[in-house]
Amino acid sequence: MSIDIDKCTGCGACMVACAVENNVPPAPEGVNERKGITWIRVFRLDNGAEGVDRKWAFLPMLCQQCGENTPCVSVCPQQAVQLDPATGIVGQMPERCLGCRYCMAACPYHARYFNWWDPSWPAGMEKTLNPAVAPRMRGVVEKCNFCHGRWHAAKARAAAQGRRDLDPADYVPACVEACPTSAIRFGDLNDLENAPERGSFRLLEKLGTGPKIYYQTQRDWVREIAAAPGGTERAHG
Amino acid sequence: MKATRRDLFKFAAGGATGLLLTPAPWRLVTDAALWSENWPGIPKPVRGELRTRFTHCALCPAGCAVKARCVGDQPISLIGLPGKPLCAFGLMGHQLPYHAGRVRQADADAVRAVIAKRAANETVAVLDLRPGRTASWTYRRAMAALPRGVYLAARSSVPAVNLDAVKIILSLGVPVLDGWGTPSNVQQARSHFRLIQAEPAESRTALLADQWLKIRPGTELELVEALATGRGGAGTGLNEKVIASVANELVQAGALFLAAEESPSVLELNRKLGAVGKTIVAQREAPVPRSWKPAPVTPINSVPERSIGVLLIDESAADSYVPWSKLEGKLAPDALVVTFASSQAGYGRQAKHLLPTAVYPESTGDIPPAIDSPLATFRLTTPLVAPPRGVVNPAQFIGGLAAIDAADALRERAGAIHAAGRGSVCTYADGRSIPVEDIQPDQFWKALNDGACWIDEPGGKLLPPVLRASTPAVVALNWEKRAARGPMPPLVSKLYQESNLRVRI
Repeated sequence: MSIDIDKCTGCGACMVACAVENNVPPAPEGVNERKGITWIRVFRLDNGAEGVDRKWAFLPMLCQQCGENTPCVSVCPQQAVQLDPATGIVGQMPERCLGCRYCMAACPYHARYFNWWDPSWPAGMEKTLNPAVAPRMRGVVEKCNFCHGRWHAAKARAAAQGRRDLDPADYVPACVEACPTSAIRFGDLNDLENAPERGSFRLLEKLGTGPKIYYQTQRDWVREIAAAPGGTERAHG
Repeated sequence: MKATRRDLFKFAAGGATGLLLTPAPWRLVTDAALWSENWPGIPKPVRGELRTRFTHCALCPAGCAVKARCVGDQPISLIGLPGKPLCAFGLMGHQLPYHAGRVRQADADAVRAVIAKRAANETVAVLDLRPGRTASWTYRRAMAALPRGVYLAARSSVPAVNLDAVKIILSLGVPVLDGWGTPSNVQQARSHFRLIQAEPAESRTALLADQWLKIRPGTELELVEALATGRGGAGTGLNEKVIASVANELVQAGALFLAAEESPSVLELNRKLGAVGKTIVAQREAPVPRSWKPAPVTPINSVPERSIGVLLIDESAADSYVPWSKLEGKLAPDALVVTFASSQAGYGRQAKHLLPTAVYPESTGDIPPAIDSPLATFRLTTPLVAPPRGVVNPAQFIGGLAAIDAADALRERAGAIHAAGRGSVCTYADGRSIPVEDIQPDQFWKALNDGACWIDEPGGKLLPPVLRASTPAVVALNWEKRAARGPMPPLVSKLYQESNLRVRI
């Protein structure tokens, strides 16, 4: 996945589309940004200047699908987190999770969320849930899985048509589909046409976790925030 | 053989050890985990055949095309079309019917009887918060038929903005990049206009504008005066040089000038800059049947004080609001105020009766052309789910007061559009565009109900709009401001409560 920060307008369509697709419930009363569940979260950054020199940017943050030394995989005592070598997606299995939250502590991107409450929707709204994704119970951790339900559905459709491989158009995560400015793009990193653009960077690359989300921006101050120690903390506000 | 106590312990220990080597305990753990995922407190999504349906979003006048993914007849997600995305609000639209604050029941017959009794010798006024719909024509027809009927529109005129001709926009708090026009049109045009946002609050449009003029609250009109005359403006908190520079830029570029409120000075500055007739043009309406005899649009300011005996407010689809303080003085001392809305949040607080209405995507109706569409359009919002019992259709209710059957008004209008024989129908399911003259009236009506859009043919000169300066201040709504006026989908918590992406202004 590649995200062009300069194109992101902070509209929040990706956050909403993700919650709709993955049956993430609305927040109970009193929940704040620390206890809320947003598999993809858009952060507002500024360059710290005052007056007319002040500039803003929006940074969508989601599970970076780390491909090397994946921190959440290595700490999980339940093997509830697994890196799929075929797709490169870090999967989370809530039925195995015992809620110890080691993975949340280990994740350098703060991209994992704990279910503090049972999922609940206003009366009648359960009818709008996506049947391809099971709601998670209280006490387990969840995170972005690149809309794994869509991947399974695409594989099933392809198999029904006698194909083994997926076309790029067969499988697109909800956030990519909803982005009004095409700031988020998605594809197989092994394909040359999806190779990261020159000048792309990854968040906290020096940790050596091999994240698969590539960011682009022409603005130096955004790069500095992304690269600086504590940059993500600043983004989290 | 005599069993000893030691044998019992050995058997128990051996059994326990042996049990661990069987799948039973592990299966138990797995089953317990699976059960905990599906215990009665966890909702179970309904399964069924997946279908795709098309409609138009009725949440704002942009009226974006919507592709709904449904399980059976129940929409489970909404998405825009390629190149025509939905905003975040539109993506949550299918959850609106389930808002906890929704009003569902009222005694409509009793209210109808009271209104009918008073309509005989008192002034009945309808306030339309989204003019230009077929329902608006029904209101005008009904008011023409009543002895003392008055039709009031929230906005005195509905001009269109020709974004293709825009070079600079100076916006006084208008949410240009956040729900003002059609998202895809604004996005496409954004590369060729410069946006200067004058606003006290740190709105999203202010953040994304090319230049943000952080003025003091309530000094918008002072800024306009300063830009027009080249004098004053100290109260805005802006530097004189900044004001002079912006004024110079506007004059040189022949800018479009937008304002949050219609006011004489804003109108005058737009005229002075040459925007009227060039970038601000008259909005064209789709044809209507010739037999429809409408009442004129009465400016709210010209209504005599304390003259309205019955005020009916259609709040079911609201794009702009008239402050209650502007309406209150027009009401007779014992006036009856009835509002058609889905919640108590808006005028329902002042009304004597609130008649519940269907909400998108339960409602049936048409959407007037978007503010950034100089061409006439006709788009239906067809219901994706059935409305609950007890809701009232405002057009049929108000039409009924004057013995007008509005049930087929949409079809009659579609017939008039087809009879005019111009324009084309765009069908989203197959991405085709068919000239109206090539299809039959029934096919045209069916296509519209299946989510197609009629677009008038381009051509002809873009005419200047008829703008009245003597209108009251009208609050234009984007979806953030709408939150204070009506229910929002519950998932909006992701943007306001569970993240710091958006803040209430």
